[in-house]
Amino acid sequence: MDSRLTIAGRELAGLRAEKTILLAIAIQLFIAAFSSFLVVGLVSMYDPGALDGAEIEVAAAGDAVEGLERAAAEVPGASVTPYADADAARRAFERNAADAVVVATHTERGRVSTVVTAPDATVQTTVIVVQLRELLRTYELNERDRRSAFLEESPLPLPERSDTSPYFSFTYTVLIPVLVFLPVFISGSLIVDSITEELDRGTMELLRVAPVTLPEIVDGKAAAAIGIAPGQALLWLLLLEANGTSVANVGPILALMTALTTLVVAVAVGVSAVAPDRRAAQLLYSVAVLVLFGGATAMAGGPANAVARLAIDSAGATTGVLVVAYAVISGAAYLGVRRVVAVEGFGR
Amino acid sequence: MTDRLRRVGRRLAVGVRRVLRVARWESARASGGVDRRTLAAGVALLVVAGGVVGVGVATGVAGLDVDGDIYRVGVDDGSPYADAIEDAPSLRPVPGGTASLGDAADAVVVTVVRPGAGDDGAIDSGEVEEVIVRASDTRKGEAAAASVREAVEAHNERLMRAEPNRTAAFPVTVTLRYVGRTTGIDDGATLGGSDGGSAGGSDGGSDGGGETGGDGGASGDGGGGSGAGTDASDPGSTDAGTGSSGDGGFAVPSIGGGAFGADTVGSPGSITPPFPFTSLLLAFVFLVPMNFLIQAYGSSILDERTNRRGEPLLVTPLSAAEIVAGKTLPYAAAAAVVTTLIALLVGGGALSVVAVAPIAAAFLGATFVGAMFARSFKELTFVTVGVSVLLTTYAFVPAVFTNVTPVALVSPLTLVVFDLQGEAVSAGEVLFSTAPMAVGAALLFGLGLGVYREEDMFSQKPVTRKFLDALAVRLSPVPAGGGILSRDRRRALGSVALLTACTIPFVFVAELLAVAVLFALPITVSIPVLLVTIAFIEEVAKSVGLYAGFERGVFERSDGDGGGTLRVALAVGLASGTGFFLAEKVTAVVQAVGLTDLFLGRAAFGDVTGLSGLPPVALAALFFAPLVLHVVTTGAAGVGASRGRTAYALALTAATLGHAAYNVGVVSLG
Repeated sequence: MDSRLTIAGRELAGLRAEKTILLAIAIQLFIAAFSSFLVVGLVSMYDPGALDGAEIEVAAAGDAVEGLERAAAEVPGASVTPYADADAARRAFERNAADAVVVATHTERGRVSTVVTAPDATVQTTVIVVQLRELLRTYELNERDRRSAFLEESPLPLPERSDTSPYFSFTYTVLIPVLVFLPVFISGSLIVDSITEELDRGTMELLRVAPVTLPEIVDGKAAAAIGIAPGQALLWLLLLEANGTSVANVGPILALMTALTTLVVAVAVGVSAVAPDRRAAQLLYSVAVLVLFGGATAMAGGPANAVARLAIDSAGATTGVLVVAYAVISGAAYLGVRRVVAVEGFGR
Repeated sequence: MTDRLRRVGRRLAVGVRRVLRVARWESARASGGVDRRTLAAGVALLVVAGGVVGVGVATGVAGLDVDGDIYRVGVDDGSPYADAIEDAPSLRPVPGGTASLGDAADAVVVTVVRPGAGDDGAIDSGEVEEVIVRASDTRKGEAAAASVREAVEAHNERLMRAEPNRTAAFPVTVTLRYVGRTTGIDDGATLGGSDGGSAGGSDGGSDGGGETGGDGGASGDGGGGSGAGTDASDPGSTDAGTGSSGDGGFAVPSIGGGAFGADTVGSPGSITPPFPFTSLLLAFVFLVPMNFLIQAYGSSILDERTNRRGEPLLVTPLSAAEIVAGKTLPYAAAAAVVTTLIALLVGGGALSVVAVAPIAAAFLGATFVGAMFARSFKELTFVTVGVSVLLTTYAFVPAVFTNVTPVALVSPLTLVVFDLQGEAVSAGEVLFSTAPMAVGAALLFGLGLGVYREEDMFSQKPVTRKFLDALAVRLSPVPAGGGILSRDRRRALGSVALLTACTIPFVFVAELLAVAVLFALPITVSIPVLLVTIAFIEEVAKSVGLYAGFERGVFERSDGDGGGTLRVALAVGLASGTGFFLAEKVTAVVQAVGLTDLFLGRAAFGDVTGLSGLPPVALAALFFAPLVLHVVTTGAAGVGASRGRTAYALALTAATLGHAAYNVGVVSLG
């Protein structure tokens, strides 16, 4: 046991000396900051109502304009001014008195045809179109309501609007899983580097002549890599907590990510045994991890979803079972790889 | 003359031959590293994963549902809303009767039934009088309630699509068209003239009965039958549905080619805001292979440095530049081939390849520097990850705003998005977009080459010390005595000025990154932060070379005689400030694309704007004010650098503050 601890300590000392772990945390911070920035950008383009009060002015004309006005009364962020005819509305649009033109006319088939004109290629176009869509959807609902007698199945009444921020679900479904899983990938990559470097520099041979067995060396290296992962994740979760995002089930989340780290480290050890050259090993490791996580995330109840549900406190019994299952799979995978390495060694 | 030309030509030919020889050796080695076993293992992995995911998709188990079941909603089995909740991936129904709010459920759907109806348990949708969603009083409850509303909307949309009476189900049809205000009538739009838009333009300014729907190809709406309307609305709404189920909060609805200028016809639900989502996604594909490429490249460079493996090459008559060029060539070629293949696949043209080239060069250059500085594979891994994260965000984030602001052009990837959208780009824009990154990549290689020598390659120095080494290599000592403009002195000061001038592209990149990051903040916060950040970036750029010179002993840091050191410090400060000033004027190129129209842009490049309409004296004063500023602040920082680390840090802070104060003055003037 002692020799394993010594090896683990040596691994950590190496990381500390190179301050690489600081760089890793800085990279994660950068990713977190930028993904938040990206989302702020995207959300403000898609859902301007989510940011405060984008109000658009619509110049309306046509014989179905009253319905449009009624709809505008229900939609926050859009107001409709009726004009005598389409030309007058268009002129208002031209002199910037209106953000968009809607010409709504009844067709002989009993529909309402709306021709919408939005300004081209300005920063506000997206905002305007999003608000227009909201307005027209409301209009459609009202019109549909009036015709509900002709429908075989009438649509369900909608509940009232509620104020919510789109960042909320983003934080739990994207940001937290990303932050929790980044250390997992980093740990695996560390193992690949550590083993291939020892092989490359010939120091693995030196270790072998010391009174330690190969599985002990692997154990020591793995212990160091697996040990630092939950620490990083915990740091993130605490940071989020300090930032006002409450994260539930921290214990199970850390357990889940530790299990996954073990699995990824097992994969990394296996990869280094198959491909002792760093270039090949890192390539193979990247592909393996991409495949593993891409595949797992695509499955129902994948690790990303499990973390999201744990963090947002919507986890059921199935999530608990999932965590245990991941732990068992990871443990088995690690023991299997360790056994194979003990028998085969890191040969060329 | 011809003799000389011939000699140069011969030397060049020898150089090229040497580079090619190293390149051949490198590619032979690289393909040896990834042996057949590794390839087989990789292919096997991909096949297995593809098979599993394929089966998953086929059987309906798979689906990117990161937001699956994150809200629990209490709803009675008999309620017509149960189906709506059931179908929404982010909502998990729990029995309504037993669910207590906040504990087992985040929201509860309560249906109020019309009197006299629905006593038999099952409630028909027509019998619902109104619906109330009671949510727990938390942010999660609010989000859950909003999701319930979305789920009901999606449910209604599905119901309506199954209705035989199209007119009643979709009573409103929408024709959306984009018109430029200045021109009055849509003339094929400068930003976004896809074929739909130009068709609309040639159509003229009439209200357009029977225009062609953007890309659906379905004909007309006015007199057309209801069938056409249905066709147009169906794909649109399905797209919106998958979009929102995939990404939850920030639904990305415009998968179906909603570029600017395209007219769209359909129901209101099918309106998509203009956003180059598809092009953006495809542009990202260009960046993915870079990450694998730099991993191999970094390994190869670091390989030379472990166990002194690169020594035999170093002692050959080959110069360091030739070795590095030869080692880089295969990877650059690979990048070119992959980029061309991707361009062919996603329908990009030559412009895409041209635009991606400087990105690839920057990836390789930064990795080269990282591999020269790293002490171990582990450190290299982090450097590589750092490089790819930084460059990917630098390339990708501005491209998101492709159709919104000209700032987007700072990323060459924006050109790719334009190219994929089929838009014309001017040569000036191409130059503005690609040149800084290309120059930056070249300078990175130059930086790394500085330490491609025995004493740095095979030693374990900390990264910062190697960085200072790489800078100091480019400097030469300032002679203490001699004439004030002796030849040695001129050369020494010239090298300082050149070194500082070379930092300009990085200053440019750093400042634009700062602008991009602060873009989203309110302007009252972003401007002050930006001014200080920019001042800091510029001060560091100007003085870090001086610090390297003093630390590495290129410039004398005598303990006893303070006067000599002070003179040298002031002289190099003057040279560095002047070099920076001259190089900064190159940023006038920025004006070419109107970046300075933006308020934030003006803060970043304040020195080159707002000069017209002033008297010549004031103009000259304004023109030379930055020179004075740079010389003074850098002189101060230089003196600090000559006294050691702490003094340097203090002097740098002071210089930054002074510079920021000056920037505030410029902005308030402009």
